[in-house]
Amino acid sequence: MENYLIAMCVTAGVYALMALGMNIIWGMAGLINLGLVGFFAVGAYTSALLTVKLGFPIVVGVIAGGITAALVGVVVSLVTARLRGDYLAIVTLGFAETIRVFATNEIWLTNGSDGISGIPGPFRGDLTPVQFNSLYLAIMVAVVTIAFVLVERLSYSPFGRVLRAIRDDEQVAAVAGKQVLLYKVQAFALGSVALGVAGALYAHYTSYIAPDIFVPLLTLYIKLALLAGGVGNSKGAVLGAVVVVFFLESTRFIVPLIPYISPVQGAALRELIVSVSLLVILRFRARGLLPEARSHLVVPAALPAPARG
Amino acid sequence: MSVLSVSGLVAGYSAADEILKQVGFELQAGEIACIIGPNGAGKSTLLKAIAGLVKSSKGSVVLNGEPINGRAPREITRLGLAYVPQEHNVFPSMTIVENLEMGGYVEPGRIAARMDNVMQRFPVLQRKRSQAARTLSGGERQILAMGMALMVEPKVLLLDEPSAGLSPVAAHRLFEDIRAINREGVAIALVEQNASDALDISDRAYILVDGRNHRTGIASDIANDAEIRRVFLGG
Amino acid sequence: MSPFLAEFLQLILNGVMAGTILAVPAIGLTAMFAVLRFPNFALASHATAGAFAGYVANVTFGLPLIPSLFFAFLVAGALGIASDEIVLKPFRAMGAITTAIGSIALTIAIENLVRFFFANELRGYDLPIARDWIFGGVRVGPQQMQNLAVSVVVMALVFAFLTFTRMGKAMRAVADNPALADIKGINADTVARIVSFGGMGLAGLGGMLIGLDTSIDPLTGFRSMMSIFAAAVVGGLGSIPGAVVGALVIGIGEELCLLVLSPSYRSAVGFLAILLVLVLRPRGILGQRAY
Repeated sequence: MENYLIAMCVTAGVYALMALGMNIIWGMAGLINLGLVGFFAVGAYTSALLTVKLGFPIVVGVIAGGITAALVGVVVSLVTARLRGDYLAIVTLGFAETIRVFATNEIWLTNGSDGISGIPGPFRGDLTPVQFNSLYLAIMVAVVTIAFVLVERLSYSPFGRVLRAIRDDEQVAAVAGKQVLLYKVQAFALGSVALGVAGALYAHYTSYIAPDIFVPLLTLYIKLALLAGGVGNSKGAVLGAVVVVFFLESTRFIVPLIPYISPVQGAALRELIVSVSLLVILRFRARGLLPEARSHLVVPAALPAPARG
Repeated sequence: MSVLSVSGLVAGYSAADEILKQVGFELQAGEIACIIGPNGAGKSTLLKAIAGLVKSSKGSVVLNGEPINGRAPREITRLGLAYVPQEHNVFPSMTIVENLEMGGYVEPGRIAARMDNVMQRFPVLQRKRSQAARTLSGGERQILAMGMALMVEPKVLLLDEPSAGLSPVAAHRLFEDIRAINREGVAIALVEQNASDALDISDRAYILVDGRNHRTGIASDIANDAEIRRVFLGG
Repeated sequence: MSPFLAEFLQLILNGVMAGTILAVPAIGLTAMFAVLRFPNFALASHATAGAFAGYVANVTFGLPLIPSLFFAFLVAGALGIASDEIVLKPFRAMGAITTAIGSIALTIAIENLVRFFFANELRGYDLPIARDWIFGGVRVGPQQMQNLAVSVVVMALVFAFLTFTRMGKAMRAVADNPALADIKGINADTVARIVSFGGMGLAGLGGMLIGLDTSIDPLTGFRSMMSIFAAAVVGGLGSIPGAVVGALVIGIGEELCLLVLSPSYRSAVGFLAILLVLVLRPRGILGQRAY
């Protein structure tokens, strides 16, 4: 049980890191990204391949995962820079799906849907499971803390203020001489680093990744974390991630209590509960049960519908 | 007898941003009244508030003895008031015939007969009946927008800057058409930048400044008032 | 005919067949976008729901194909009204993106509802087995021809509805200029309900048509989603003729890509098409909305 709780906390750390990344991209810069699971997958696969196939150290893999995700983020943001929000939703979702299709099909590289197993974890062979989980949790806490401090600094730096200015009114920011595109790309890249590192850390923790892990539902979990965290800052993101993981895990215990259902039905029921909860929270939370200062909105729920001229 | 009576109207896009601060307006049966004033005076907002597109927070709007503030735009249309917005006043991808049908949407049984009338009044619409509205010139588009409004045989017609963007010739023709519609008994309220032309065809004029009534009077008196000529009519 | 030419013609023909079927849900998607103004990802699960409704009608109740297709349309359409009224409508006031996210959650919910009752196994429809016709090396299945005919008839009905009926025209008016439509007395709620019914009904019908060729499972709709979105975006989101053209482009494009790529890259082809169009001509082939 103790081990299980530690494992949950590690997962919460992964989600917190993703939520922090999403906070930069979406919350601070206002760039819609429904494909963050794609960047997470890029980080996970990069690190897994470098360590498993080429024998690089884990640290190198994780850093490379972050960098690769950032590069992909630069490309995606450059291609989509001029798109309207509703198109961005389609493109970013499509991007994540395409990454998954690629991972499923390039069997020579990724083992296809069988996935990559035996991804090394730090001292995994030398430690008991509880010790390993505890060590990993310590690493996770350290990484999340560093990311947290960096994001907080970023948020109050001139860079963060410009990002918010762009988010709130692109034209004003453009007139004020800020190079809007450059800022957007940088924000996207920085957020993607967090997503990529989260993916890499996830891979080294579980030792196994496969395309099935990187589904849109995971993107929704992070969205849920940001909503549940409520207050539009990094603290909310981290707190929300913890809440979401505990919620997700609790559904694991509810479902077996229901008699006469098969494992597939149980799994379906779990996803059903999760998605319905998301809808309920999105509906009643996005409107702002806890109103927050405009300059701190994590998720631009008040984003205007496409202009009708 | 006044067909449209507005008193003490306060309205805007939010409570913090009231554009109409206190406005009264009367439209008598069979007359044309124009609303003029500087930019931002609230002229268009007044029409939108009457038509139900902008919520009013205080005051009353009475159409033929029936209070209409707070009602949905489509209910107000049904009560015999037609509003023609300044821009985006046609359905661009639909044909002229279809646009007119949509104009008369609330009274489907009468569409055919009324469309004949509108086509007779505006031969250009007859000529281009199967063309998409987006292919029309600016003047033709204004005519189509008015034609759509006539499809409900309104008692009151609100026109928001109908001459905006038109050439002087086209604007002149449009004012002729407006006068002709009025002669058939439709009371018309007209917002115009083009103040002197508007005063020419109007019976009564309202000058709004900063969301309040500034002057009200007979159109010809206003047109000849030296001070008003200097301030609002550019000489 | 040379074998290469025959193979090429075969691919084009397959592409036209696939594209015509794809046009059915793509029309549904683009019509909903035109009126409701958000990308409705719940289309995927409605396609799945339609495919399974058709399966129940066809396999469980033994109905012939055409009534089963009609049943798929009705069930998915009714589900579409329910999802819009209960789930998505309140989101629309919060903006297109929040609604789009809600529609993803909704699609996962419905997909799992289907999974709960039907599990993950592949299911096939009960179809008469027929031999392919062969014309000079090009192979055509009678079933494919029937699907093609159904799709063409459905498209003709949609066009007739939009061109000749009062409600169809009202729908186009709302798509063109919602504010003016409101002034003219067109009830936006009624139009939203009709477009949700018709749009999701077409998604369901499309889901079954797609499944007729192979088999269905709870992910049937999701797997086709990128192709359907690609068809609508390539043709110009919001334009119904555009959706038809876009679907043909995507259908043929996907088939031609099979010359160099494995079939499971289908949805990636759609994604690339979306990117290409958005970079080169953001309004799509027939998109003409200026606003």
